[in-house]
Amino acid sequence: MVLEDLGKRINGAFANLSKGGDIDEALDAMLKEVCSALLESDVNIKLVSQLRQKVKNSVKATPNGASKKKVIQKALFDELVNLVGVDESAASAAKFKPQKGKSNVVMFVGLQGSGKTTSCTKLAVYYQRRGFKVGLVCADTFRAGAFDQLKQNATKAKIPFFGSYTETDPVAVAAEGVAKFKKEKFEIIIVDTSGRHRQESELFTEMVDIGAAVKPDSTIMVLDASIGQAAEPQSRAFKDASDFGSIILTKMDGHAKGGGAISAVAATNTPIIFIGTGEHIHDLEAFSPKQFISKLLGIGDLQGLMET
Amino acid sequence: RFGFLKNIMGGKTITQEDMDKVTAKVEEQLMKKNVAKEVAVHLCDQVSRSLVGCTTNSWTTVEQTVQQAMADALRKILTPSASLDLLHEVQRHKKLGGGRPYVISVVGVNGVGKSTNLSKIGFWLLQNKMRLLVAACDTFRSGAVEQLGVHVNRLSELAGRQGTGEVELFAQGYGKDPAHTAEKAVEYGEKHGFDVVLIDTAGRRHSDKRLMGDLEKFAKRARPNKIIMVGEALVGTDSVQQARNFNDAFGKDRNLDFFLISKCDTVGDMIGSIVNMTYATNIPVLFVGTGQHYTDLRTLSVDWAVRLLTQ
Ligand SMILES: Nc1nc2c(ncn2[C@@H]2O[C@H](COP(=O)(O)OP(=O)(O)OP(=O)(O)O)[C@@H](O)[C@H]2O)c(=O)[nH]1
Ligand SMILES: Nc1nc2c(ncn2[C@@H]2O[C@H](COP(=O)(O)OP(=O)(O)OP(=O)(O)O)[C@@H](O)[C@H]2O)c(=O)[nH]1
Ligand SMILES: [Mg+2]
Ligand SMILES: [Mg+2]
Repeated sequence: MVLEDLGKRINGAFANLSKGGDIDEALDAMLKEVCSALLESDVNIKLVSQLRQKVKNSVKATPNGASKKKVIQKALFDELVNLVGVDESAASAAKFKPQKGKSNVVMFVGLQGSGKTTSCTKLAVYYQRRGFKVGLVCADTFRAGAFDQLKQNATKAKIPFFGSYTETDPVAVAAEGVAKFKKEKFEIIIVDTSGRHRQESELFTEMVDIGAAVKPDSTIMVLDASIGQAAEPQSRAFKDASDFGSIILTKMDGHAKGGGAISAVAATNTPIIFIGTGEHIHDLEAFSPKQFISKLLGIGDLQGLMET
Repeated sequence: RFGFLKNIMGGKTITQEDMDKVTAKVEEQLMKKNVAKEVAVHLCDQVSRSLVGCTTNSWTTVEQTVQQAMADALRKILTPSASLDLLHEVQRHKKLGGGRPYVISVVGVNGVGKSTNLSKIGFWLLQNKMRLLVAACDTFRSGAVEQLGVHVNRLSELAGRQGTGEVELFAQGYGKDPAHTAEKAVEYGEKHGFDVVLIDTAGRRHSDKRLMGDLEKFAKRARPNKIIMVGEALVGTDSVQQARNFNDAFGKDRNLDFFLISKCDTVGDMIGSIVNMTYATNIPVLFVGTGQHYTDLRTLSVDWAVRLLTQ
């Protein structure tokens, strides 16, 4: 399905207006295009119908007149951005402001293969460039080659790392690594963990145990941009078990634009803070809701949509 | 069950209007199970077309009739048209003897489970007493070679203990041209009497022209007997395009042979991506992955899948 021309289709719906078309018809046509594009990008069905209703309500609340078109556009724009937003307290809780001269522990959690290990190094590089003393701890004792992967990434990025080839208990490695880096006055200590899913309770217990051992100042859930409907139940379960405070959305350089992950944001009231845009250590960008929505819907310039 | 449908008992002629009312709901139900919109629409059209003008059987409701028709439509997509007896083919190839080993390669996007499920296939072949060469042709991702090395060591130990097949790793380190490494692995396998060469490849985005372009050259040089695309059950709508792009990546004379859908244990009844990928390409599902251990590999039960999607 080609989403690239959604902006055009929306504008088309509006063009009818200037030709004296019916405003309600234009609104319906526009909402239809947008909702169908959202559904085609894995956005949760419930969220899509909520959006439709909210836009309709806010339009209904304004009197008829020439400004109605602007009202519709603004309502749509706001609701789209709201899709990936969270309330203020959640947003400020997610604001991880590591302090220099103090040890800040960051723990990564997420489903198998979502991009945790890769993103750990990316985040380490991000803070290292900002003058922090950063260390990486590999607490994935399960996946074959996990320590080698982290070690090679860390070596490339010149970041000190800790892990073990022989210890099989992830809680022990995590605790040891964090203690060592704390003693050496590292300011940011990033703990990588194994992939897991809610259907295996033992794996979740393990995650809780690692958390209890390292006492993270910030826990980050890593989500793959191509995830579909399973995003909601999985992220909900991760939230309950690990109380993660923010999300990193990976593989945004691919074809999928992260529509499924929106339901994770909504279900857990937890914001996305970074996006991963490639396999290399520098491919990490701060998250911008407006950019995200315009990419998701294939609207080249969302602001432009506002000005038509 | 599609419990939202009205209970009308037997003998009702189904109109387009009846259908439109229910297909909207059915479509939604499918999408909640991770069936892509495009695929859900197709399925509903099919059901609609087959039912409008028909009369429901006695003691049957429109609900049951639609459910039955949807089950049929799903079954049609999921039932393979080609043989899935890979083991038989490998054994036949082995019996002919002497020549090239049987070459199997896995491909797919990043992190879906290629290396892990390749190792599961290895375990299965070892249990069937094959001599196996595992070729580390992901020469890009950090730790990829060591990851396979660990699997080969474990498999080797297991096989030794059970007195089954033999397995060895073929690796040339990082940064090498994967097509070259693959070619060398097959040569090595042939020279040393291996029955099967299993080739792991790096994950790639299906929208990346350069990385996808490499696949054609890779297949020309490694000449795999079978190319298996690993797709994961977690993926949403993108699974449709993933399947299409990988199926088209090997030039006009070569397609994918099978899918392996991994991580089916992580999605509950949201197994729509199995339908998405087979719908998009008509390529059958050889195995589903149901966990992170060597024995977590199953053949796809069409009945099981249809039941999960329609209940
Ligand atoms: N294209 C792209 N690939 C990525 C990105 N982030 C990670 N990857 C790739 O995704 C794959 C899986 O990444 P990992 O970091 O190993 O994922 P993980 O969550 O640590 O996996 P497990 O530890 O097995 O659960 C690798 O091939 C990475 O190179 C990204 O932003 N873009
Ligand atoms: N739950 C579950 N996890 C799986 C399954 N198959 C693979 N995994 C996990 O998924 C993660 C990624 O697996 P890999 O085999 O490394 O994936 P890959 O496709 O080779 O990844 P790249 O080479 O980085 O592209 C690992 O943590 C595996 O244990 C499965 O069927 N179920
Ligand atoms: Mg990892
Ligand atoms: Mg791999």
